[in-house]
Amino acid sequence: MTTTATHPTYAPEPPVRLEWAEHAPEVYKAMIRLDAAARKGLDPTLRELVNIRASQLNHCALCLDMHTKDALAAGESVERIVQLSAWEESRHFYTERELAALELTEAVTVLTDGFVPDEVYATAAEHFGEAELAQLIAAITVINAWNRFGVTCRRAPGHYTPGQHA
Amino acid sequence: MTARTTRLDAGVRTALRAVGAAAREGLGDPGLAELVQIRASQLNHCAFCLDMHLALAREDGAVTEAQLGLLNAWEEAGDDVFDARERAALELTEAVTVPTGGASRPKSGGGFVPDEVYERAAAHFGAARLAHLVALITVVNSWNRLMVARRIPPGGTAW
Repeated sequence: MTTTATHPTYAPEPPVRLEWAEHAPEVYKAMIRLDAAARKGLDPTLRELVNIRASQLNHCALCLDMHTKDALAAGESVERIVQLSAWEESRHFYTERELAALELTEAVTVLTDGFVPDEVYATAAEHFGEAELAQLIAAITVINAWNRFGVTCRRAPGHYTPGQHA
Repeated sequence: MTARTTRLDAGVRTALRAVGAAAREGLGDPGLAELVQIRASQLNHCAFCLDMHLALAREDGAVTEAQLGLLNAWEEAGDDVFDARERAALELTEAVTVPTGGASRPKSGGGFVPDEVYERAAAHFGAARLAHLVALITVVNSWNRLMVARRIPPGGTAW
């Protein structure tokens, strides 16, 4: 935690498990290329909502730290970020297009409960052209990949500065 | 069955292939790599990836028919089918594949990757191999998502 405010004594920060990028530099370099490729042609505001929602589902603290800070720095509202984990009950905070993307994000993130429903895909396809939809699916896939590295290797959140990896 | 879409950005495809190639090379164990990729594809219900990796595992010959048949119940299969190192890798595969927790999560309950699962894997793999194993689990999870979301049929040639 980097804060100047006075606060109670918090629990200690957990140590990192594995500095995976140092042990697998070729993997890391290719991941950076993958991330850049998946960004092309996708609205940054939408992308951050997708990144935050997937990171919530996958419990990736590092990714939440990064993407909430990036979203705020890009002008996203606190309210829309706070409501994101209950978006189905706060639909009036988001556009229909964003809602379709969030629903697709959840379906593609949680494959273990069974596939991506036709109606979820069809709703997304109504709001996104074929190329853009392919990029949205790629973006959901890539944040899921970062989430897995983050959760497994346990790099601690709280140290990210907006734009650090831009 | 026909695909919903076969569209995928060429840069995304190329980069993800590169991540996979680096992960497999760094792990240095083609048989284990196939077991991991098949197990994740089972959990994620990816027909395309199952079809592909079952074929590769058989072609490679590094995975036995008993292992392929019992993989979906590896915890109940004997030590003579899956050794301790393979078990540690499979356990890690399941935890990394299902960080969301929930009913479908095998055994360990709760979210995240549990300490005991991580430690067992770390005991069998050095840091570099472990990093590449985590990467491989992540890559197959990525392909699973791209194939299931776009509903690419098993054996499909356009993907």
